[in-house]
Amino acid sequence: MRRRLILLFLLLLGFDAQAHHVLGRPAYSLNEDSNTPPSMQVETRIGKYYATFMAFPAFPRPKERGRVNLYLRRIKDGKPFAGKVTFLVRDDRWFAPDPEVIGTQDPDDNVYRQGFVFNKAGDYIITARFQADGEPYTIDFPIRIGNPSPVGPLGITVIVIVLLLVSVNVIQRRRLQRLQTSRHHAEERT
Amino acid sequence: MIWLPDWRWLTIEQTGPTMHPGLPDVWVNLVLAGMLAGIAWVLLRREPGVTGANGVSLARVPVAGGIVRRLTASPVVLMTMKLVMLAFFLVVIYAGLSGTPIPERNLATTLTWTIWWAGLVIAIFFVGTAWCAVCPWDTLANLLVKGRLFWRRQHALGLGLKVPRPLRSVWPALMMFIGLTWLELGVGVTTNPYVTALLALLMVVLATLSLAIFERKAFCRYFCPVGRTIGFYAGLSPVAVRPIDPDICARCTTLECYHGNDRVEPCPTHLVVGRLQQNTYCTSCGNCTQSCPHHNVAWRLRPVAEEVLSDVRPHNDEAWFLLGLLALTSFHGVTMLPFWDTWVTGVSTWLGERSGVIAGFSVLMAASMLVPVLLYLLAVTVTRRLTGITHGARLFSAMALATLPLAFCYHIAHNINHLVRESQGFWSVLANPLGIGARPLSSIEIHIRHLNPLIPQNLLFALQAMLILAGFWLAVRVVRKRLASLVTDRPDGLRLAMLPMLLFVAVVSLFNLWMLMQPMVMRMLGASCGTA
Repeated sequence: MRRRLILLFLLLLGFDAQAHHVLGRPAYSLNEDSNTPPSMQVETRIGKYYATFMAFPAFPRPKERGRVNLYLRRIKDGKPFAGKVTFLVRDDRWFAPDPEVIGTQDPDDNVYRQGFVFNKAGDYIITARFQADGEPYTIDFPIRIGNPSPVGPLGITVIVIVLLLVSVNVIQRRRLQRLQTSRHHAEERT
Repeated sequence: MIWLPDWRWLTIEQTGPTMHPGLPDVWVNLVLAGMLAGIAWVLLRREPGVTGANGVSLARVPVAGGIVRRLTASPVVLMTMKLVMLAFFLVVIYAGLSGTPIPERNLATTLTWTIWWAGLVIAIFFVGTAWCAVCPWDTLANLLVKGRLFWRRQHALGLGLKVPRPLRSVWPALMMFIGLTWLELGVGVTTNPYVTALLALLMVVLATLSLAIFERKAFCRYFCPVGRTIGFYAGLSPVAVRPIDPDICARCTTLECYHGNDRVEPCPTHLVVGRLQQNTYCTSCGNCTQSCPHHNVAWRLRPVAEEVLSDVRPHNDEAWFLLGLLALTSFHGVTMLPFWDTWVTGVSTWLGERSGVIAGFSVLMAASMLVPVLLYLLAVTVTRRLTGITHGARLFSAMALATLPLAFCYHIAHNINHLVRESQGFWSVLANPLGIGARPLSSIEIHIRHLNPLIPQNLLFALQAMLILAGFWLAVRVVRKRLASLVTDRPDGLRLAMLPMLLFVAVVSLFNLWMLMQPMVMRMLGASCGTA
C-alpha cells in the first residue's frame, strides 16, 4: 500500500513537472501560429457585439513578429460576425498622428487574424473597425511593445523636486539678505 | 400572498462573465416603501426637530478614554502609521513603473484603485478625515521640504507666501477632481499600473511645490481633490476631532491649536479648534492635540450627519463642490452601465473622431455632470419663487447640503460592490507586488472571482438598499431643517416650499436606485487579460 502511495505521489510530481508543456511541446517553443499560444486576452462589449481580442505574444518586443486575433459575436443570438474588419494602429499618446491601416481581414474560421511587427518600443493602440447593421463600430485595444523605462519618470520627478527646492532655497536666502541689509540701514540711520 | 411590483422591465438585460448582478426586486420594493414613508413623515410632521450639539468625547468614555488620551498625547502611533503608508506608497510607485502591465497582477493598480480608492469612501464614515493624517503625498512633501515627519523646524525651507486670493476656495480642488475622474474613467488610469505610478508622482510634485511656496498646507486646504472629498463626506461621519470641554476653548487666549508652539506646527488649514463646526478642512493631523496646553482636543463621537443638520453654512464654492460630488458619483455609476460603451462610440462617431473615443467620452462626461446640476438649479429656482426668499445665493448654498448624503451613500453603495467583488486575489498580489512571472487572469479565475464576493451577495444587496434609503432619509431631513431656518416668517408655507427640493431628492435617489438595479461592468476585469 505504502509503495503504491509513493508511486502515486511520484506520478503526481511528474505531472506537475510537465505542467509547462502544451500538447507535449515545451511552452518556449510556441509561436504566434501555435494553436494554443500564451497571449494577452481582452474581452469587451460594444454595441450589439461581444468582442474577444487576443495578442500574441502578451508583451511583444520591438522587431518581434506578433499577431492579434479578434472574435466578434452578436450578443442577441451568439452568431459570429462575418463581414470585413479593418485593423489600424496609432501611438497611445495625446496629439498622436493619424492611425495607420495595417490590414483589412476576412474571417478565418470566424476569427480575424492580423499580423504585426513594431520597430520601436512604446505604447500603441490597435483599432478594429467594422460596419454592422449599417452602424460603424470602432474598438480600441492598447498594446505595449517592450518594457517601459522606470528611470524616465522617476528621474524627471527627482529633477523637478531638486530644482524646486534649490530655487526656493536661493529665494529664501536672498530675501533674508535683503531683510538683514534693510535692518542694518535702519540701525545706521538711528 | 402579498403582491409586489416587478421591476425587471426597468433592468437592462445583459449578462456576461464580467458583469456584477444588479439589486433584486425585493430590495428595490423595500427602498421604495421606505422613501414613501420618509416623504409622508416629512410632510405630516409639524415642527422640525431642534438639533443641538450632541455626542461624547472619546477621551471621556470609560476605559477607552484612557487609551484615546494616551494616543493623542503622543505622536508615535501617528508617525508609525505615516511611515507604513509611505512605504506602501513607494512600493506602489516602484511596482507601477517596473512591474507587470497586467493590472490585476500589479500592486500599483490593485492597491490604488481596488482597495484604497474603493475602500477610502467607506472608511470616511468610520474614521472621518483620518486618511489625511497619514496621507503619503503630504508625508513625502513634508520630508522633502521640512526634513521632518512631525515636529516643527524653526528655520525650515519654504517661502511661506499667501495663496493668491482667486485660488483661496475649493474650486481648484473641484477642477482637479473632475480631471482625476476624466483620467480615471476616460483615459483608463485604473487599468494601467505605469500611468497610476505617474499620477502618484505628479501628486507628490504638486504637494511638494505647494508646501515649498505657500504658507502652511495650501495643497491640503485648497487643491487636494481627495482631501476635500474626504472633508465634505466627513461631515456625515459620527467621528470628528473636537474639544473635550468647549468651555476651556472658550476661555483660551493663546490659541496654540491655530498658531502652534515651539515644538508643534500650527494648524495646516488655519482652523481654531474651539470654533470648529465642520470637518471640511480638518486633516486630523494631530497638531492641535499635541499643541493644546490643556490637552483638551480628542476624537468625538456624535450623531450621524450632525454637521449638515446643524447651522453650518457652506460658501458658494463649497456648494458647487457638493454639486460636483453628486454629479461625479452619479457619473461613475453611469460609466459602468452596459450601454455606456455604445453611447461613447455613438457620440464619437457623430463627432467624427478618427482616432480613439476620448472626445466622445469628454462630451458625454460634461453632459452627465450637467444634468444633476441643472435639475438642482431648477429645484432651487422654483423653491425661491414659492418662498419669496430674497437671498438666492443663501438658498442655493444651504440646499446644496442635501446633495451630500445622496452622493456619499450612493458612492459607498457603488464602491462596496467593487470592493467585495474585485479585491479577491489581493493577498497574492501583495506577496508578488511587481507581478514577476505572473500570467494574465484566466477566464476561470475571472469566473471564480465573480462568483465569490468577500461577503454574501444578499448581505451586499441589503447594504446597498439601506445606503440608498439612508441617503434619501438624510437628504429629506436636511431639506426640511434648512428650509425651516430660511422661511421662519411663514412656517405654514414650509410644506409647499419643500416640494421642489423633495422632488429633486427623490429623482436623484430613484436614479441611483435604478443604477444599482442594473448589471454593472466590473472595473478591472472588464478589460482584463487572460490566457488563450
